[in-house]
Formats: sequence, structure tokens, C-alpha cells
Amino acid sequence: MSMKKNYVVETIRKAQLAQLLAGGKRMDERRLDQTRELKIETGLIQKANGSARVTLGNTQVIAGVKIATGIPFPDTPDKGILMVNAEILPMSSPYAEPGPPSEGAIELARVVDRGIRESEMVDLSKLSLVPGKSVVAVFVDCNVMNVDGNLFDAMSYAVVSALRTAKMKKYAVKDEKAEATDQWVPVPVERTPVSVTMARIGEKLVVDPNTEEEASMDMRITITTDDDGNICASQKGEASFISPAQVLEAADTSIRVGREIRAKIMEATK
Amino acid sequence: MIERRQVIPGDVIAKGNHRYGPYIEKRGDEYVALRVGLAEVGRDEIKLNPVTGPYLPRAEDDVIGKVVDLNGFGWVVDINSCFDGFLPASFVFGREFSPATHDLSSKFRVGDIIGARIESSERSRDPQLSIRGQGYGKIESGEIIKISPTKVPRLIGKRGAMINLISEKTGCDVRVGQNGVVVVTGSPEGIVKTARAVKMVDEEAHAADLMTKVEGYLGGSESGGN
Repeated sequence: MSMKKNYVVETIRKAQLAQLLAGGKRMDERRLDQTRELKIETGLIQKANGSARVTLGNTQVIAGVKIATGIPFPDTPDKGILMVNAEILPMSSPYAEPGPPSEGAIELARVVDRGIRESEMVDLSKLSLVPGKSVVAVFVDCNVMNVDGNLFDAMSYAVVSALRTAKMKKYAVKDEKAEATDQWVPVPVERTPVSVTMARIGEKLVVDPNTEEEASMDMRITITTDDDGNICASQKGEASFISPAQVLEAADTSIRVGREIRAKIMEATK
Repeated sequence: MIERRQVIPGDVIAKGNHRYGPYIEKRGDEYVALRVGLAEVGRDEIKLNPVTGPYLPRAEDDVIGKVVDLNGFGWVVDINSCFDGFLPASFVFGREFSPATHDLSSKFRVGDIIGARIESSERSRDPQLSIRGQGYGKIESGEIIKISPTKVPRLIGKRGAMINLISEKTGCDVRVGQNGVVVVTGSPEGIVKTARAVKMVDEEAHAADLMTKVEGYLGGSESGGN
């Protein structure tokens, strides 16, 4: 029995897709810069410090935040630790397999992590307890529950929503030792990064590609912007190129679409 | 008139001596249902059409599949089943086929849709496909619709009654694979109408007056309305 590696789009369907795109339309009747319906639920996991489930079309991702004390990295002795991890569950897609994370799953976690980190969403300097010895460590673990394209954005929104609603114990430092008090405080969230992923199919860029579009794309670009419209991270994927003009187009789109998405995340996590 | 009734696993469908199809087990002189579905007790055979289930390849079935991979010896075809179909290159190029001289991708590429026949299907290896014969081979255009494979007999209807009705009323060419893949070719409006009718059969396959319903839907929209 052969193993299914990737979703294969039918040649005739690909031709239809190309024809529609040339006329500025998409298979599911969305505009080129329109995302699928976004649903954000928070506080689903009782035992986690924070959690969120994001449904983007048929893509579904759940994120959980775990907060504990840890030893800081030697190069940042006075900063807390933030780590985002991702796993694609075998039940989420016929093409996902159990075992060590695939290349795609590693890229997914790193792109999401970089967006959160480089936007300085969480003020890590506020998470220092005893410089060089003890800091607060924030772990965000994500699970992909259903795959229908654009895991990057769904996961990014889940992580941001989970962090925005997460609560942690307040720590008291006594004799260079950090101890948890009974008081709960929010995680020091300063900004709200939003990632927007676009796929280039032929000549056109489409926002929030689904499985079929991802299987037909030549190139993909993910751009994360912050509240002020600053670009804080970006990642290009797949083997094909992107023209300088299209990079600028993608940047503009990511800022514009990012603003709409940010409003939805704020609304769901206020 | 064939008696049709809904059954759940464990229900006794009939007693006595009959020929019987899959999803039915004989216990003593009783025929017991193994799936949820519609049981048909005909004059010479009892059948059980499950409400849902995968496509199980059977020899001689006409299927529509998607080429998902190719190697030196043939093509791997997704036939909408739990098993992948395999189309050996020697079935396409003939006995003189040699991996050194023949280029498989010149015939079918990954993503191509093909109409094929199940040559053999046994549990010890993947079902073998063949494209020998009239009408088999690459399908160049059309809209692909997938329905539940268990609803295929309903979509075809008695001696093709249902499918002929849809095809006649919409002016589209409708090709149905036993594996639940349907390819429609014709005018854009015809395709939209056909797709809706096919979906209707898929969703309401249990209805007794399905034919009238579909006719009503297609007849009503024939005069250009919705």
C-alpha cells in the first residue's frame, strides 16, 4: 500500500482555478483578499493558564498556554522565556502521520513563534524574577485538529488569543528565590501581532489559501504586522519566486487584512 | 414492486433460501443485516444498501480516479476508496512495454482524471485497473462532483433512469463512477443544475419518491428560472 504524501489537485480543476483567478474570482467565491470565516473561542482548557480554539473555514487549531518558572538563557539573563510549539495531529488530515514532526510542522511552529516574538507581543523583561537565575517561562503548545490550508494564520491567531486571555500566578521574590503567590495576573501582553498568509497561483496573490489552493500554489508568503502596521516578521515558502512589486503588494495586503483580523481577535479576547 | 425497508445491524431481513449480497449474514435460515441501511427483498435476491460507507472495489466496476503518483511500472490512482488503484504500464503501452524506453508521464501525469475499469480486486494487493476498451482513459474536461459511494445505485436509477433524466433535462453529459466520482460536461448553467440534482440524490437517497422530486426540481427550472 502506497502512502499518501500530499493532496493532489485534479488537472482539470487546476485549469478551472486558473481561469477563475484570471477573472479575479476564486473557487469558493471569495475575493482574492478575503479570508474565510474566523471563529475564536477562548478559555476552553480548564487546567491551562490560557487556551484558544480557532476555526478558519474548515481549518481548526487549538492552543494552550502553560506558565512556569525556569532558568533564563545565558544570553538573556533578565528576560523571560517564550516558546511556541506545534503538532499536526494524525487525525487532522489523511496526509498527516504520527511520529516525529514533519518539516512542515517545524516550519509552522517557527513561523508562528517568530511572528509573536519579533512583534514583542509579550514583554519578556517583565517576566524576569531573579536575573540570571529565575524567570517566568511561557510555553504555548498548539495542536492542529483539522487541516484545510493556511495553518500558519489559524495557529498564529490561536496563540495570540490564548496569550491575550492567559492568567499567571504572581511571583514574589524572597532571598533570591521566586515563589508563587495566590494572586492571578494577566500575562504582560503589549501588542497584538497578526499574520497574513498569501499564496501566489500563476500571477495572482490570494489571501488565506485553502487546501486546494495550497496544492496549486507556486509560492507562499506569510507577513506578520503589529498594531501600528509595522511588519515584524515574514517568511516565504515553496520553490518559486516573488517579484519585488508583488512583495510590496503582499505587504500592503497583510497590513490591510491584518487590521480587520486584529479587530476580531480583540473582540474575542477582551 | 420490491419491498424496501430500513434496517439496523441485527435486524432479520428475510427467512428461507435466497441469494444475498454484501453486508448481510446468514444465520440458520435467517438473513441478518450487518449495517444501517435500506434492505431490498427481491424475488431472487436480497440486498442491503448501507446508508454510508467507503467504496469497496469490485472487479468489472467502472470507476473514475485521479492519478496521484507514478513509478517505473505504472500509475497509482486514487479511486475514492480505502485502497489505491494501480494501473500497470503494460496495460497501457502493451506487452512491449519497458521502463527504459517508455515515458509514463507522456500518457498520464499526476493530477489527471481517468476513467478506468477494475480489472481485479483481491485483498492480497491493491486493486488493478485497466483502460482497455471504449470510453476509458484520460478525461480532458468537466466538473468533478463526489457523492457517497453507497448512493451510486440511486443516482443511476433503474436501468439508468435517474441519470438519463438528469442528463436529458440539463443537456449535460454525466459520467458516474461506481466509486462515487461524477464528471459532468456541458454548458456552465447545465453543470450548476446537474450538480444540484446530483447533490439532491446524494442527500435524499432514502426518499421513496426521489425520481419525482428530482424531476420536479429539474422541470421547474427548465424555463430559465431558479
